[in-house]
Amino acid sequence: MSKLQPVIFDIGWNACINCGACVAICPQEAGFISPFDTIAVDRACDIACLLCESICPTDTITHKLVEEGGKD
Amino acid sequence: MNQQYDLVIIGSGPAGATVGRFAAAGGLSVLLVDKKQELGAPIQCSGAVSRHALEEVGVPLDDEFILEPIYGFAIYDQAGAATKIDYRKLKEDEYGSGPGRKPLGYVVDRRRFDRFLMTQAERAGVETWLKTEGLGYQPTEDGRCDVFLRRYNEKITVSTRVLVGADGLMSQVGKWAGLQTHIKITELAGCLQFIVDNVETEGLLEIITGHEWAPGGYAWVFPKGHGYAEIGLGVIPTMTTHSAQWHLDKFIKQSFFKERFKDSRILEVQGGGVPLAAPLRTQYADNLILVGDAARHVNPITGGGIHTALSGGKLAAEFLIRHLSTPGVSCAAAELKGYQDDWLQALGDKMWKLYHTKTKVFHQEDIPTRDAYLYQTMSDYFDPNSEYKKI
Repeated sequence: MSKLQPVIFDIGWNACINCGACVAICPQEAGFISPFDTIAVDRACDIACLLCESICPTDTITHKLVEEGGKD
Repeated sequence: MNQQYDLVIIGSGPAGATVGRFAAAGGLSVLLVDKKQELGAPIQCSGAVSRHALEEVGVPLDDEFILEPIYGFAIYDQAGAATKIDYRKLKEDEYGSGPGRKPLGYVVDRRRFDRFLMTQAERAGVETWLKTEGLGYQPTEDGRCDVFLRRYNEKITVSTRVLVGADGLMSQVGKWAGLQTHIKITELAGCLQFIVDNVETEGLLEIITGHEWAPGGYAWVFPKGHGYAEIGLGVIPTMTTHSAQWHLDKFIKQSFFKERFKDSRILEVQGGGVPLAAPLRTQYADNLILVGDAARHVNPITGGGIHTALSGGKLAAEFLIRHLSTPGVSCAAAELKGYQDDWLQALGDKMWKLYHTKTKVFHQEDIPTRDAYLYQTMSDYFDPNSEYKKI
């Protein structure tokens, strides 16, 4: 499940219920949060444990891999 | 010079507001901030709390936040067999809706409840700021600390003797201090609940166990006032390949309650992460303590956190009033450890015991054995003679 390659998360806001479970499980340092109390979606996550995807009650978090030399 | 307080509390939920109310009543100067515009929203909680929990911390039993009184419990196994614990029958002179009788507890509206608690704090002398988020903190040479806030986009720094992190399960304050706050994926339940119309309830909190319906957690049906009910469940992600939403849909359509639920209409969708975990091992740092969900003061068997937030909040305030009354006293981590010691003695040791009980259940590999064990544990927990009644 875990990938070492950094990822950027994408949240399907239509199904998001702002429950905060993704932030609660996130092992990132303080501040890896969006203004809507979800995990951050505007920068890469280098841990890429994907626990946020598995805890999401509405299964609305996905990710794409950050391409090498791509934006961070 | 920056505005100075004895306490700055980040997060105005049941824990934060209770720390504030008791601390201000005890003579401390308190600033309570919350980043939300409406406290308690979006709701991430089923809202069940015992009457005892409210009375113990002097919260009036007010219609402003009470949705429905509760008189007992019904614990179901996977096939629908139930253990019913109805205090209206067990102790009919004491519990009931008639004159001179009282409920066992309540289901509250967290939006109204959290606002009510903040109002009580404000009336006790707490300064309250909404739309204010915490950005960080820094101990200063004078033994105090600076807290960096943003209020309606304006950056403000205040100075305090102790910062209280009451910012919930998503706590950032604990992370600022470098505390080990990370929760294991095997101990956080992903929860979803619907407020529904057209589902009958009878004044009981109904808890449905069984891997078939809620792997790693349980399902619930609670009365929600106005003739509504709340149907929800929590699952542990490592014990299923599906989301809580998938499981809730299955529970509503396929369980032994499918006839009962067939005309249900969804009025509200709510969710959250519920820790079925141990309290944080370290709940203090230099100039800082954590309370409530942020300290993981949550019952690891039920996932209930309101009672533990209220009683832990009162206890934190009592410690801080006592500690800060000594002129020139230090607020370094070693000095604030006393708060955690007090908490362990009053509540924490029992919560650790509950955690070990819960862990034993989920270490059972065989699913039918585990299901039977969970059903028994839940039935024992809610038994009138349970030693854990007051947690």
